[in-house]
Amino acid sequence: MGSDDDLKGRLEGAKRLAELQKDRITRGDFLGFGLLGAVTGAILTIPPVAFVLTPIIKTDVLGNSDVSEEWVEVGHISEITKEAPKDFTIEFPITQSYGDKKIQEESGVSETDYNVRNAVWLSWRDHEPPSFIEGLKKGDSITQSQIEEASQRINVLSNSCAHLGCPVRWVITEGEGEFLCPCHGGIYDINGTYVAGPPPRDMYSYTYEIRENGNVYVKHEFDVQPGIPGISTQEPYVI
Amino acid sequence: MIGRVRSQTSEASKFIVDWMEHRTGIVTILEHALYEPVPKRGTWLYTLGSATLLLISLQFLTGILLLFYYVPTTTEAWNSVYYIMNEAYFGQLIRGIHYWSANFLMATIGLHMARTFFSGAYKSPRELNWIIGVILLLLVVGLSFTGYLLRWDQDGFWASVVGIKIGSYSPFVGGYITHFLVGGDTIGPATLSRFFAIHVWLLPAAIAPFIGIHLYLLRRHGEFGSDIEYTDRLSKLRERQRMEEYDRYELEEDGHDENGRDRE
Repeated sequence: MGSDDDLKGRLEGAKRLAELQKDRITRGDFLGFGLLGAVTGAILTIPPVAFVLTPIIKTDVLGNSDVSEEWVEVGHISEITKEAPKDFTIEFPITQSYGDKKIQEESGVSETDYNVRNAVWLSWRDHEPPSFIEGLKKGDSITQSQIEEASQRINVLSNSCAHLGCPVRWVITEGEGEFLCPCHGGIYDINGTYVAGPPPRDMYSYTYEIRENGNVYVKHEFDVQPGIPGISTQEPYVI
Repeated sequence: MIGRVRSQTSEASKFIVDWMEHRTGIVTILEHALYEPVPKRGTWLYTLGSATLLLISLQFLTGILLLFYYVPTTTEAWNSVYYIMNEAYFGQLIRGIHYWSANFLMATIGLHMARTFFSGAYKSPRELNWIIGVILLLLVVGLSFTGYLLRWDQDGFWASVVGIKIGSYSPFVGGYITHFLVGGDTIGPATLSRFFAIHVWLLPAAIAPFIGIHLYLLRRHGEFGSDIEYTDRLSKLRERQRMEEYDRYELEEDGHDENGRDRE
C-alpha cells in the first residue's frame, strides 16, 4: 500500500516536471531576467541604503569628517597648577545635519549652539611644570623656547575614558590624586597613563599646539595609532 | 418588559454576530485565537507571554501619545519631556506607563524565556518560534537602547555613549557601527535624529510582523506537547465544550436546576 502511494506520488512529480519542461526557460530568458532583476534590485536598494549610510560613506570611505579641522582654543598655560590637572570646556564647530557653515549662518540656525561640549584636561607631566611658569600671568605671551619647553611638559587629555567613554574626573583620596572614571572605575595617573580598572589603554590625548600668546590649541584629533580601519585600529572609537 | 428587551437585544446581537461571521469569519478566527489548552500544572506561568504582549501593546499606545509633545532636536528634546511630565494633563501617567512597562517588559521577557526553556517548549516543532522569540528579544533591547537617548538628559546621554562604545569594540565593523549610530564623527543633532527614527519607526515596524509570526506559530503548534498530542488535546477540549453547551441547552429547555436532579 505504502509503496504504491509512494510510486503514485513520484509519478505525479515526474508528470509535473515534464509539464514544466515544456515551457523551458531559455538561456536568453535566464540572462534577461537576471539582468532585469539586477537592475531593478539596484534601483530599489541602492538609494535607501546609501541614504541611511551617508555618515559611514562620508567618514569611512571618503575620509571627510563632519567636525571642523580648525584649531580650537583651550586656555592659558598659566592656569595649570603643579598639583592637579585643570579642566577646560571646548566646542568644535560641526556640520552634521544642518548643512554647511554658510547655510547655518544665513538661516541663523547654528549647530554650534547645540553641539555637545568636550572637556580637556591640561596638566604638567609628572607634576613638574616648566621653569618659567612661576610668575607667569594669564594673558602673558611666551617666547619660542618657552613654547618648546612647555610643549614637552604638558599633557592634553580628552576626558573621555578609554574604556567606554564616560567623563573622567580628578579625585584625591590619598597621595597625589588620580583620574577616576565614574562608570566602571578606570583609573589613570596625572599623565593619563593607565593604572587600574577595565580601560584597554591610556587616556586619549589631543593633537595640540602652544602659541606665543600662551594659549593651548587643540584639533579634533586623537593619538589613535594608524592601522587598517576596523581591523587593527585601536578601540573604542573615540568620539 | 425587561425580559422582552433582553430577548430583543440578544436577537439583535446574534444577528450582528452572524452577519459578521458570514462576511469575515471573525467568530471562527477569534475562537481559534483565544482558546488554548495549557497543562494543569503551572498554569500561571503560561500567562507570561500574554503579559509581554500586553506590555508591548502599552508601549505602542503610550509611545504614540508621547509623540504628540516630544520634539526630537537637541535644543528641545529635554524641554518637551519636561513639558510632558509637568504640564500636559496625565503626562506623568502616560510617560510613567511607557517608562515602567519598558522596564517590566525586559523582566517578563526574561521570565517568559525561562519558562519556555525549563518546560522544554523550544523543542520540535517549535524551534522556529524560539528563534523568532530571540529576534523579538533583540529588537526590544534595541528599542530600550534607542529610547534611552531620546530624553537627552545626562543619564540617557552617557548611557548611550557607553552603549555606542560597546558597539565600537565589535571586531571588524566596530568603527562602522559607531559612525552609523552617531551619524557622523561626534554625537550631535544627527545622533538624536537617528535614534529617534530607529526608536519610533524602524524597530516598531520591524517588531510588529515578528509578533504576528510568533503568535501564529504559537497557535499552530500550541503551548506544549508534540504535534499529535496537541491536536488530540485540542479536539478533546472542543468536545468537552460542546458537551457542556448541550447540557446547558437541555437544562434551559427543561427548566430544571443545573444538576438536573429534578428530571425524572
